[in-house]
Formats: sequence, structure tokens, C-alpha cells
Amino acid sequence: MLDRVLSEYRGKVRLVYKDFPLPGHTLARPAHEAARCAGAAGKYWEYHDRLFQAQPNFERADLLRYASDLGIPAEPFAQCLDGGRFRGLVEADIQQGRLLDVTGTPMFFINGQRIEGAAPFETFKAVIDEALRNVR
Amino acid sequence: MAALTRWFSLALLGAALSGLAPAWAQITETEVRLTLDPAMVKGSPNAPVIIVEFSDYQ
Repeated sequence: MLDRVLSEYRGKVRLVYKDFPLPGHTLARPAHEAARCAGAAGKYWEYHDRLFQAQPNFERADLLRYASDLGIPAEPFAQCLDGGRFRGLVEADIQQGRLLDVTGTPMFFINGQRIEGAAPFETFKAVIDEALRNVR
Repeated sequence: MAALTRWFSLALLGAALSGLAPAWAQITETEVRLTLDPAMVKGSPNAPVIIVEFSDYQ
């Protein structure tokens, strides 16, 4: 759905993705860290999409296999994941979300306007159109 | 419904995005410092509308 938003508002909208693995989702946090490791290899969005397709298979072996499938060098990726290279940054996103009262996902802020949950395109369109009117 | 009254400072966030540096997002009760990873951003750097998505893979 966000791909449609970015396509229909090309040049007018920028998306910033923030990690917010929920406390009960024990496999989500390493998945978020793995995505950042993929980002360090220049394949963040490919890996991101792969994780959503592969839900909820996020065991370590799965995360390594997805990286391999995308052509990410295995050893540095495993070192990144096992060493917790991005653990602190994922935790920082979680803390920032909590300060913004994020309690569930997905949660969106469009120029500050909050949208909770998987809203339809029309909801995003209404908020974006209003935001564009306000910045003109 | 207090959450509905909160807002980001577009100017501050936009400036931070353009430089890909940490930013201050201003909300009514407090300020939240947003860290941004350039690999996790999509769209035009000059876009007037910024969508911040908090999400969970699981």
C-alpha cells in the first residue's frame, strides 16, 4: 500500500521506516537487526520485503538464508547479526516510538498527523492531500 | 485523545532528513529525538510530506 502512496505522490512524499518490534514478538527483534545488517550491505529494502513475505519464519537460520538469497556476503552478515551491531539502534527506535505513544503497529505519522493501523489508501490520500495544502 | 493533538515539526524533521542527521521532532508535551538511517528512507529528499512508519516484522 505504501508503494502505491510513494508511486502516486512521487516527489511529494518521503518514507522513513522505524523499527518497532512488539514485546511479545520474540523473533521480531533479531529480524529488525538483520534488516539493518542487510542495509549495511546495500540491500535494506529487498531484505525488508523478504521479511514481510516470510512472516513468521525468523529463526537465525532463516535470517541467514534470506541474506544469502539476496546475494549478501554470508560471513559479514552473520557477524553483524550475531554481534548485535545494530541492537542499540533498534532499541533507540523502540524508545522513540514509546515517547510518541506508539503501542501497536503499524503506526504512521504524516507530517505529524497520526494514523493507527493498516489504513486504506484513501485514508493516507486524505491526510497527504491536507498536508500538501498546508505546506503550499 | 491527547495523542491526536501531537505533531512533528516538519521543518525540523525535513532539515534533518536532508542532512540525514539526528533530528528533533517536536510534539506538544515534549520533544522526541529521531535517529534516521539513510538506508531506511525512501522517496524524494525534497518531498514536502514525510511519512514516519513504526512497524514490526512479526
